[in-house]
Amino acid sequence: MKRIILLCLLLLVTPQLMGASDQYLDVTAPANKKQQIYLAPATTLSGPALPEVARELAELFLFDLNLAGPFSVAPAEAGSAGSDLVLKTAYGSSGGNLTIECRLFDPVLNRDVAAKRYTGSLKDLRRMGHAFSDEVLRVRTGQKGPFTGKIAYVSKVSGNKEVFVMDYDGFNTQRVTNNGAINLNPDFAPSGREIIYTSYKKGNPDLYRRELYTGVEARISARSGLNAMGSFSPDGNRIAVVLSKDGNSEIYLISREGKELARLTRTQAIDVSPAWSPDGNRIAFVSDRLGKPQVFVMNADGSDVKRLTTNGAYNVTPRWSPKGDRIAYARKDGNGFQIYAINPDGTQDTQLTNLGSNEHPRWSPDGRFIVFSSSRDGGEAIYVMRADGSAQSKVSRGKARDSHPTWSAAW
Amino acid sequence: MSKKLYGCLVVLCLAAVVSGGCAKKDVVKPEEQTPATQVVPPPAPLSEGAKSTPAQTAQPVAETPAKEQAVAQETPQQGAAAQPAATALESALQKIYFNFDSADLSNEARSALSKNAELLAKQPGVSIRVEGNCDERGSDEYNLALGERRAKAARDYLVNLGVKPERISVISYGEEKPVDQGHDEAAWAKNRRDEFVIVK
Repeated sequence: MKRIILLCLLLLVTPQLMGASDQYLDVTAPANKKQQIYLAPATTLSGPALPEVARELAELFLFDLNLAGPFSVAPAEAGSAGSDLVLKTAYGSSGGNLTIECRLFDPVLNRDVAAKRYTGSLKDLRRMGHAFSDEVLRVRTGQKGPFTGKIAYVSKVSGNKEVFVMDYDGFNTQRVTNNGAINLNPDFAPSGREIIYTSYKKGNPDLYRRELYTGVEARISARSGLNAMGSFSPDGNRIAVVLSKDGNSEIYLISREGKELARLTRTQAIDVSPAWSPDGNRIAFVSDRLGKPQVFVMNADGSDVKRLTTNGAYNVTPRWSPKGDRIAYARKDGNGFQIYAINPDGTQDTQLTNLGSNEHPRWSPDGRFIVFSSSRDGGEAIYVMRADGSAQSKVSRGKARDSHPTWSAAW
Repeated sequence: MSKKLYGCLVVLCLAAVVSGGCAKKDVVKPEEQTPATQVVPPPAPLSEGAKSTPAQTAQPVAETPAKEQAVAQETPQQGAAAQPAATALESALQKIYFNFDSADLSNEARSALSKNAELLAKQPGVSIRVEGNCDERGSDEYNLALGERRAKAARDYLVNLGVKPERISVISYGEEKPVDQGHDEAAWAKNRRDEFVIVK
């Protein structure tokens, strides 16, 4: 096994910061003017100048913080005039080690409102940058950013569908499965350390759970028929899953080890795609019990079933926001799909996408963003957007068909 | 250095010494040998909140006894290679086709199933798997269930025609196994189908 690099973090916290007296931005107020961030040219702490490190960091901050919503980030060439904040970076290297110091400076207060130093190896550069982007969001909005999370997804880069993991912005792609069969629907455990997915590697669509760090994999549900669309409960102790062992597709709860805990639906119809509310009390799902597929909501014991979507003839793949206030889903519209979001009581049904076909919406762990797959550029690729549908950005870089993204908590 | 730095609280956050495979492989026998490329190494903690020491606390995944499913375990190639007569039968069994988002059997489908039932009656020792498939336009998740419904519609019809139910298994591939990679109605119509595969 690889020895894991020991990383130390030196935290620089100014005394004023500890008082937490800063006013947080109200990021939900649309009229709020964006904070202008000037990205100062990187300086060196020690060692040689590494222009590629400076450039990569600058590009990373531009992407992260412009996507974030509350900020407008200008590159160094644009000059600092009129900026509300200055993001200063300095780096030092020796051997394979890298130190990065990041500061968010407020010229009016004349002090740093965030300051961190990260030490690691050169290959940790992007993670260090994303960690500071998360921190910038934390100090300006009160809630940490999701940029150190990973996205698991399905890619056909090798011909068949295999599960991969990448940084949220598409870098550092890593293959998770390599079995040559069909692999579908990855879902992260709340810890981010494990994923579950369905694989046909032994013929039948069975449910597997895999430790990402060790590669250890176990088949946890191999019941006759479908074992698919597994979804971890918010506490990580249960998995909602579609099984068809009792005749047709129904939603069940099973344990992490695959033991059956409860059967939630009993219809002759198709019942698929379970999605937990963040408090674990409700489950949204898709059923064609009234004819065409629509999104329904029920209690986590199967009681109190209510139809959620009433517009559109074909609504699928619901996903509850981490704050519990919205449910994103995909609506079939002609030959393609568009992503919508709706309140859990059925009000404020809002279309979020309109270019190409867009499917598989999943929330970032902080609820600020939605990751989805889109065919707008030809082949299917992974995109991210803000929860209101703005700033739609392609993140998966391969030419292969990438789909079914899911965004983990911070690693 | 500025006073700011002077007053800094320096937190030394020791990453827990994690030697990647704390979950030892000899604790649990993995189902497959995993090449190094498939192991996603744990990130060393960067933030001060690094209470989590990923691989150290990661529990080995318990192996769950798997129910064996004789039918699903065998590949069509193995079955077919073993029995030339079965190969001939398999190619004689007709595929059936469906309308979009439907598992209803058309007149053509019923007629094809009747012929398939006659062929199966002549080789009572042969078991088949009905494979349900969908086109790419539906939701891939929903289509897993729809493909199964299509396969079961054919199975039920064959059983009504006298084929013993224990000779027929079903599987859904959803929209994952298109025969035509095109993106038009002609391709979609070919992909919304049941196939009949000899398993022994």
